[in-house]
Amino acid sequence: MANPTIGRAAESRPSRKRRVQPMRKMLPPVLLALALTVATAAHTAGSAYKVHVAGLACPFCAYGIEKSLGAIDGVARVETHIEDGVVIVEMAEGATLDRAKAAQAVKDAGFTLDGFEAPAGSGQ
Amino acid sequence: MQIAPLSFLARSALGLTLLVLTASLPTGATAAPQTFNTALPVARGEFMLRQQFLYRKAEDDPSAADRDMEVLGGISVLGYGATGDLALFGVVPFLDKSLDLTTSGGARVTRDTSGLGDIRLFGRYTAFRADAKGRTFRIAPFVGIELPTGDDDDADSLGRLPALPQPGSGSWDPFFGVVATWQTLQYQIDAQASYKLNTEANGFEFGDELRLDASLQYRLWPRELGAGVPGFLYGVLEGNFVHRAKNRIGGADDPDSGGEQLFISPGLQYVTKRWVAEAIVQLPVAQNLNGAALEDDVIVRAGFRVNF
Repeated sequence: MANPTIGRAAESRPSRKRRVQPMRKMLPPVLLALALTVATAAHTAGSAYKVHVAGLACPFCAYGIEKSLGAIDGVARVETHIEDGVVIVEMAEGATLDRAKAAQAVKDAGFTLDGFEAPAGSGQ
Repeated sequence: MQIAPLSFLARSALGLTLLVLTASLPTGATAAPQTFNTALPVARGEFMLRQQFLYRKAEDDPSAADRDMEVLGGISVLGYGATGDLALFGVVPFLDKSLDLTTSGGARVTRDTSGLGDIRLFGRYTAFRADAKGRTFRIAPFVGIELPTGDDDDADSLGRLPALPQPGSGSWDPFFGVVATWQTLQYQIDAQASYKLNTEANGFEFGDELRLDASLQYRLWPRELGAGVPGFLYGVLEGNFVHRAKNRIGGADDPDSGGEQLFISPGLQYVTKRWVAEAIVQLPVAQNLNGAALEDDVIVRAGFRVNF
């Protein structure tokens, strides 16, 4: 025998699921977008410079370059790509890096500045 | 009666031990050979700490004393970058030496000693540098001195040890040399020539020492480099040629000391941005030692380095 109450209840469950499920599905993308927004904001807070280093050929030596470049005022983050011989130097918001300071830091680390790329629009 | 063979030892095995250990203290600053130095830089204001553990065995004694010697050591190296080209180093050895021998009376005795050895201080300057993307060639002379910081009056139950087995030499010994390094992302070659001018103390003088060293490091892994700074696993093959002049006791040459040795040494080294782990086995492939000098069987070195 059909029970109208049970039937209604049975009918109502899927409708609750339909209301809840979209929210659960939406949560991860929302959080991801939020995280990406924050991360992007953090990265775009300052300028990123490419410092080309000649003579860098082993991981242990990379630490010295990162330490030397990281000691420059305004440097927020340093990241080495050893195969390319490139160190990415990200500056804090409003800070800039000039070639002379980068060259001195590379020299202090025992290496040679091979190139210096300032971000577009930096005027360098 | 038991002291006589010890004097004999002093003229042969233990003298050789001290010479080998003090002359081959590791001083490398970066990814570098494990038995000698490198010309790679220490950044200005950067410290590098290296700790190496050492085991040495020598038991092929041609004499009736049937000497059997073991050496355990811990060698600490602190390097500092004064400038991008000038690096300063301090080398602090701690050695534990044990020597079994048969006395002229037929008794088997053990004599051992341990303690701080002679500290080395030296500076290394990069005199020539040719850098290009992913490779470098450098030549760096170095000069330093070995200080008489180790005890030279240790004694055991048989009495005071002779001059040679003492942890320290008691003498101020200058040394100098030059090291060259050719490094690419795939491999590294180092070569070094050095000379140690030993001086006299308490009537005893170790023979001067000439060393010629070479090393090849080849990156085994990763085969392909990606972004960032991956750790490198190097296969290592090193060679060490050592010539020692005879020791002098009371102004006279000791006929049971000095000679030449050639070691070939396979090893491994894992290098990251902040630390290095390494191990190597030194195998004597040729030994032309004077008199009854004790020959080496094997030397094992293992350790790590960190920079900060």
